[in-house]
Amino acid sequence: MKLSTVAWHAGVIAVLVVVLYPIVWVVAATFKPSADIIGNLSLLPTEPTTGNYERAVEGMAGISIGRFFWNSTVLAVLSVVGTVASSALAGYAFARLRFRGRGAMFALMISTLLLPFHVLIIPQYAVFQKLDLIDTYVPLLLGKFLAAEAFFVFLMVQFMRTIPHELDESAKIDGAGHWGTFWHIILPLARPALITTAIFTFIWSWNDFFGPLIYLSTPDKYPLPLALQLFVDEASGSDFGALMAMSVLALVPVVLFFLFFQRFLVEGVSTSGLKG
Amino acid sequence: MGVMKRFTTVLAAASLLFAVAACGGDDEAESGPVTLRYSWWGNADRAALMQKAIDLFQTKNPDIKITPSFQEFEAYWQKMATDTAGGNAPDVLQMDFAYLREYADRGVLYDLKKQQGSLGLDDLLEGLKGAGEVDGGQYGVPVGGNTWGYVYSPAAYAKAGVPEPKLGWTWNDYRSAMEKITRSTGGKMYGGGNYIGTYYNLEVQLRQEGKLLYTEDGKLGFDKPRLAKFFTEGKQLADADIVLPVDKGVQIKPKFALELDLIAGELGWDNFMARYAAATKTELKLGPVPSDNPAQLGQYLKPAMLLSVSARSKHPEQSAKLIDFMINDPEVGAIFGANRGLPATNAQRAAVQLEGPLATVAAYEESIKGQLEKAPPAPPKGAGTIEQAFIRISEELQYGRIGVDQAVDQFFTEAAETLES
Amino acid sequence: MATTAPTLPKEATGRPAGPRTRARRPGDELAGYLFLSPWILGILLLTLGPMVTSLYLSFTDYSLFTAPEWVGLDNYRRMFDDARWLKSVQVTAIYVAVAVPVKLAAALAVALLLNNKRKGQGFYRAAFYGPSLIGASVSLAIVWKALFTDDAVVDRALRAVGIHTGGWAGNPDFSLLMLVLLGAWQLGAPMVIFLAGLKQVPVELHEAAHVDGAGRWRRFRSITLPMISPVVFFNLLLETINAFQVFTSAYIVGGPNGSPAGTTLFYTIYLYDRGFSDFRMGYASAMAWMLLLGVGLITLFLFRTARGWVYYSGDKR
Repeated sequence: MKLSTVAWHAGVIAVLVVVLYPIVWVVAATFKPSADIIGNLSLLPTEPTTGNYERAVEGMAGISIGRFFWNSTVLAVLSVVGTVASSALAGYAFARLRFRGRGAMFALMISTLLLPFHVLIIPQYAVFQKLDLIDTYVPLLLGKFLAAEAFFVFLMVQFMRTIPHELDESAKIDGAGHWGTFWHIILPLARPALITTAIFTFIWSWNDFFGPLIYLSTPDKYPLPLALQLFVDEASGSDFGALMAMSVLALVPVVLFFLFFQRFLVEGVSTSGLKG
Repeated sequence: MGVMKRFTTVLAAASLLFAVAACGGDDEAESGPVTLRYSWWGNADRAALMQKAIDLFQTKNPDIKITPSFQEFEAYWQKMATDTAGGNAPDVLQMDFAYLREYADRGVLYDLKKQQGSLGLDDLLEGLKGAGEVDGGQYGVPVGGNTWGYVYSPAAYAKAGVPEPKLGWTWNDYRSAMEKITRSTGGKMYGGGNYIGTYYNLEVQLRQEGKLLYTEDGKLGFDKPRLAKFFTEGKQLADADIVLPVDKGVQIKPKFALELDLIAGELGWDNFMARYAAATKTELKLGPVPSDNPAQLGQYLKPAMLLSVSARSKHPEQSAKLIDFMINDPEVGAIFGANRGLPATNAQRAAVQLEGPLATVAAYEESIKGQLEKAPPAPPKGAGTIEQAFIRISEELQYGRIGVDQAVDQFFTEAAETLES
Repeated sequence: MATTAPTLPKEATGRPAGPRTRARRPGDELAGYLFLSPWILGILLLTLGPMVTSLYLSFTDYSLFTAPEWVGLDNYRRMFDDARWLKSVQVTAIYVAVAVPVKLAAALAVALLLNNKRKGQGFYRAAFYGPSLIGASVSLAIVWKALFTDDAVVDRALRAVGIHTGGWAGNPDFSLLMLVLLGAWQLGAPMVIFLAGLKQVPVELHEAAHVDGAGRWRRFRSITLPMISPVVFFNLLLETINAFQVFTSAYIVGGPNGSPAGTTLFYTIYLYDRGFSDFRMGYASAMAWMLLLGVGLITLFLFRTARGWVYYSGDKR
C-alpha cells in the first residue's frame, strides 16, 4: 500500500472516531439498565443487560414489533417509488422544456419550501377529512406521487440542467420524442440524483413522526416512530432503555438501504459512458 | 403519441398503488353495533391495561365497539388539536385539567349533564365532586386524583441530622432543612431543587393564605408584590447555593434530580412517588407539604385526568356509558391499579390492591384526607400557556439573566396578554 | 449513439446562468404540461389551497376550534411589539449565519475526501451518513445532552487542553453552539448531494487539465467547483431555508420553551407554540408568512447572485 493511502485511511478514521462516538454511545447505552442511561457517564455498561432489547421486541398493546416494521416499510417503499417518479417528471419539465408559465410555476414551487409546515397542517387535514381519507396511508403518500416535495423536484432540476444539451439534440435527430429523450438520455444520466432522492425519501419517510401522528389513529397502522414514543411517559417514568434499543433496531433497515444504494453513487455515471 | 400512452401507464400504476395503500379504511356498518372512537395519552403499559378494560366493556356491551387510539402526552395534544379543528375529534377523549376550559369554552365538548341516566357520578370521592364542571356544565369526569406532597430520602435527612418533616413544618423549616443537608454533604447532595421553578408551589402557598391561583372569574389570584416575594425566596436560595443549581437540573432533563440522587427531596404531585421509587435505589418517603398556616395545608385532590365526550359525537349515550364503566366498574379499577392516578371513585379505590410506593401514596392521601379541600374551578383558557411562561421566566431568573422585578413584570405582561383574549 | 464530448467553456464561472429563453419547439408546450401534470395536480390539490388558507388566517383571530375572525393587519403589527418574537428572530438569524456555512463546509470536505475510489469507500460513506440516519428522535436528544453534561466527554476533552467551560448542556451561553454542532454532525444530506454532483463531473476534464499541468487546487477551483456549482447552489439554498425553519432537533433538545433560558427559542418553535399550545393559529399563520417574506427575499437574492457563479453545462448558450 502506498504511504498516501495509509495516511488517507488514518486521517479518515481519526475524523470518524469523533463522528461515530455518539453512535457508539447510543449502542452502548442500549445495554445499560434503563435507569442508568441518563446520568451515568461511563461509555460502557457496568452491568450489561439485554433487557432493553427484550422489552423492545415484545411489541405493545398486542401489536407485534414486526407490524410496526412492516408499516414503516410499506410507507417508505411507496414514498420512494412515488417521489422518484414524480420528481423526475417534474424536474425534466422544468429543466429541459420551454413552455408558457414555466418561470412562474418554478417560482411557486420554490415558494412552497418557504412556508413552515405547521400552518399548513390544519388546512391540509381538512382536505383529507373531506375526502374521508383520515386514518389511511393516502395523506402520507399522495403528496409523494404528486411531486409535492419541492426539495426533490429542485434537486432533479439542478442535476438535469447540467446534462449537455447536445445529447438530447442528437437523440431528437435519431427520432426520439420527449418521452424517449427523458427515458433513454436524461434518466440514465441523472442517476445520481435519482439515487440521492431514493435514499433521502426512504430515510425521511422512515423517520417521519409528524405526518403519521396527524393522519393515523389506529395503532396497528402506526409506523415505528409513533411506536417509539409509547415508551415515553412523564408520570410513570419513561423506559429510555427500550426506547433506545428499538431506535437501534429501527436503524438496521435504513443502514442496509443506504449501503445498498450508495454503491450506485460510487460507480457514478459520466457522460463518457455513453460514448461509442 | 407515445408520451400520452406512457403517462396513462404511469398514472394507472400510481392509482393501483393507492388502492393498495388505501385499503383498510373505515368499515363502519350502517346498522348493528355502534363504533366509538376512544383516545387517550399514555405509554405501552397503559395501552395494555386499557385493552383489557375495553375487552371487558365490549363483552358487557356487545352492541358497542371501541376503536382505541393512543399517543404520548405531548403528541396526543398536538393530534387532538388538529383532529378537533378538522371536525374529526374522537367520541371519547382523555382530558387534562389544564385544557378542560380551553376545549369546553370553545364548544367542542359535550355537556354530560344531559346523560345523567347513563353516567353515575355519585360515587366520586368527596374532593373530586364537581371537578369536571365548567360554568355549570359537566364537560369532563375525573378518572383519578392526586395531590401535592413532599417526596424525600429519610437517609439524607438522618445523615445531616435533620428531623424528618412532619405535619406542621413551615416553609422556613423547609428552607433550613435544605440548607443543612446541602452544607453537611459539602454540595455533593443538595437539600432540594429550587421550588420557584414549579407553578404549583406558588399555588399551594397562596391557598395556605386563603387565596387562589386563579379567581373564580378567571383572573390571576395574586398581585405583583406576592409574586416578587415568591421569586425572592428562590433567588436567595439560589444565590446562597442551597438548592440544586438550575444548570444541573437542565442537563439531566428529562430525568428528575431525585431519580439520580442529586437532591434529598422535592415537592410535587404525590403520584410521582412511584416514578421516583422505580428509578432510584434510595428509599423514599412521602411527607406533608410545609405550611406557615397550621390550619391550612392548601391542598386539594386534583383530577389527574378526566374523560370527556366530544360535541360532534353521534353517540353521546354510548359514550357516557363507556365513561361510567371506566370510572365506576370495580373490575376496571382492579385492572388499572394506580396507572391513571389513584381511582376517583370509592368503589374503584376499594377494588385496587396497592403495594410498594403506591400503598405509600394511598396512605399519605388517607393521612391528610381531613385537610383536603375541594378542587378549584377549572383553570381559565390560556392556563397552560401561563404555566409555561412561569417556568421559563423562573428559569431565566435562576440563571441570573433577569432580576426579580423584571421577572415579575414579564410574567404579568405575558399573563395579561394571554388572559385578555 | 453519437455524442460530443463536453467541453468546459473558458468563461465557466463568469457567465450568467439563469434560465435562458430560446425558441420554443413545437411539442414542448404540451409535453411540458404533461410531464408536469402530477406536480400541477399536487399543487392544486394539496398545496395551493392550504397556502392560501393560511394567508387568509394570518389576517384573522383563529383559535382552531371556532370560526376565524377578521382582524386585518393586527397580527402582523403585534409581532413587532412581541419581545419573544424579536428574540426568536435573533436566535434564528444567528443560527442560520453560523450553522449553514459550518455544515456546508464540513459536508463538502467529507464529500471530496470520499469521492475517490478507494477500499472501504462504502463503509466510510455509511459511517459519515450514520448520524443522519438517526433522525431527530428522543434517543438523539439523550445522547447529545449526555455528551455535553458536566464531566462528560466534551468537558473532559476541553479540560485536557486547558479550557474550562463546564458542561454545555445546562449553560445558556453554549446551547446554540450545541445545536450548530448537532446540525453539522448530521451532514449526510448535503454530503450525498455533493457526492452525486462530483460524480457528474466528467473525468475527461480532469484528465485534460492534468495533462496541461494544472495542480490539485487549480483543478478544484477551475474544474470541480464550477462543474458542481449547481449542486453547491442547491445545498446553499436548501440548507439556508431549512436552517430558518429548524424545528425538530431544537424541539427535542430545548423543548417548547427554548430551554435553557430561552436561548433556543427558534422561529418555528415559537410559531408552533403559538399555534398549537396557545391556540392562536391566526398569529402563527402571520408569523409563517412573515418568515416566507424574509426567507423569500434571501432566496431571491441567492438566485440573483447565482447567475454570476452557477454554471449549467446543459443550458444553451
